[in-house]
Amino acid sequence: MGRILCATRGGPDSQRTQQSAIALAKERGDELVFLYVADSSFLDNIAAAVVVDVDAELEQMGRFQLLMAQEQAAEQGVAAEIAIRHGHLRPSLEQAARELAATLIVLGRPQKGTAVFDEADLQEFARTLAAGTAAEVVMV
Amino acid sequence: MDPAGPAFFVSLGIFLFVLLAIVLRWMHETTAALLGAVLLWLVHYLGGSAISSLRIVGFDESIAAVDWNVIFLILGMMIFMAMFSETGVLRWLAYRVFHLTRGNVWLLGLALVLLTGFVSSLLNNVTAMLLLVPLSIQIAETVGVHPFVYVIPEVMAANIGGAATLIGDPPSTIVGSHLGLGFWGYAIRAAPVVLVLLGVLVGLSLLLYRRELAAARKRASPVLLQELEARSRITDAPLLRKAGLVGLVTLLLFFVAERFELPPSVVAMTGAVWLIVWVRPDMRRMLQEVDWTTLFFFIGIFVLVAGLEEAGVVARMAGALGRWAGNSLPKATALMIWASGLFSGVVDNIPITVAVLPIAGQLSQTIPAAQGNPVLYWALIFGADLGGNLTYVGSAANIVAVGLLAQAGYRITFGRFLRDGAVVTVATLTVVTFWLLVLW
Repeated sequence: MGRILCATRGGPDSQRTQQSAIALAKERGDELVFLYVADSSFLDNIAAAVVVDVDAELEQMGRFQLLMAQEQAAEQGVAAEIAIRHGHLRPSLEQAARELAATLIVLGRPQKGTAVFDEADLQEFARTLAAGTAAEVVMV
Repeated sequence: MDPAGPAFFVSLGIFLFVLLAIVLRWMHETTAALLGAVLLWLVHYLGGSAISSLRIVGFDESIAAVDWNVIFLILGMMIFMAMFSETGVLRWLAYRVFHLTRGNVWLLGLALVLLTGFVSSLLNNVTAMLLLVPLSIQIAETVGVHPFVYVIPEVMAANIGGAATLIGDPPSTIVGSHLGLGFWGYAIRAAPVVLVLLGVLVGLSLLLYRRELAAARKRASPVLLQELEARSRITDAPLLRKAGLVGLVTLLLFFVAERFELPPSVVAMTGAVWLIVWVRPDMRRMLQEVDWTTLFFFIGIFVLVAGLEEAGVVARMAGALGRWAGNSLPKATALMIWASGLFSGVVDNIPITVAVLPIAGQLSQTIPAAQGNPVLYWALIFGADLGGNLTYVGSAANIVAVGLLAQAGYRITFGRFLRDGAVVTVATLTVVTFWLLVLW
């Protein structure tokens, strides 16, 4: 039995990716793990009084996003696990894939105007990820 | 100093370079401000030894130009906030609001705006956003409303609410300190109009998002509700009691302070140190939690603006604005509100406020009707605070809220924020223009 890793943030653009990962887990009988990467780099260039534990706040928000994904999987008869990591998306995803021994990584294709990556960037990342983790990478 | 000499162009050039570095995100804001200050000093000492007119502002004059009341007021509030944020009270409050509105999405929108406006008048906006926005996103997802519907009005309420008190937003602190206003002296003048502005924001938000609110899902998921409740509890009740009591006494002390001419910074530091002595936190950790980048950003900007003043840039700008306004106070007031509002919409409002403050001071002396009348200073406060709502780079609170939304998978484009920001900014600046012209 393999393990599918689906990196997700939540929001409407992630729905398609989550649904595809759930369908793949069901079809292949694999375990499914939803991963949230809490990245606080949006605070990097601003001079503002950040006296709050930002990582803890992001982790709570991420946990909530993953619970929604987990709930959707349960509605379709798939028991999904959740995992949270801190840092930039790319290295954190690659490291999590290795730690969790993922055999398949599901990435969402960029949606117009609101994506983190553009198509070419994502394909390059998928190649790097596949080479660095020995997992199959699919873009949905 | 010759207003059109090399000093004029060098100090203006360095200031514009710093603004550009901030707007285009070439480097951290504090790095940009400190780089600008060091360049100014090097020009003074090295350039000044060759060309005497390049002696713009030396180290001692620069340090004397820093408003230490502002620095220590912000430091005191940071210490207080660092402890307060550990109590979980804001999440608990936001959850109570959600609970009391019984999931009515319209009432919830109104209540979250008012709660954020109130919280932002006492805590800095970035802290308010970091504590309230994640929960608001979760609440919106629970009731099936797009999170923009709550988060965008919330961040705008933070920028508006910050104008209500001396400690709410940097422009209020900088200008209020310059005017020598105490906490209550400031709040009595500003809070009433802020309440009106929050009312305008609520009305506009319900109008702008009426379709999304009407399409809300009726039944919330029990699993998500359970998670919301579990994560919205008071995490440190003894600390909350202590911080609450010290906060209350500090507010009362602000009131008494005006009789004894105690600067607001002394009151804020008194409250902060009292809390430290009472709670006995790990002092090393406490000092790590203070955001020194903000304090050094302020110091760098004060130094840069001292250079602008010494080089005659401020006098020249004030002269041009005075002539443009035809020495009419109403025209100058309107110009001050809208110009500082538009600039603050695209650049951080701290450098704008510090740079425009001496211009407001000079205009207050040269326009006959402005002598002894602080209206131009109030125009600057409201312009700089409210203008931050125009674009998502207009204030640090906006950048934080947009970053948090993106972290939850809701990316907002510049144009999407501007669409709502422009409506709210124009409406609130119009209300303030009428308020200032009528009242003063």
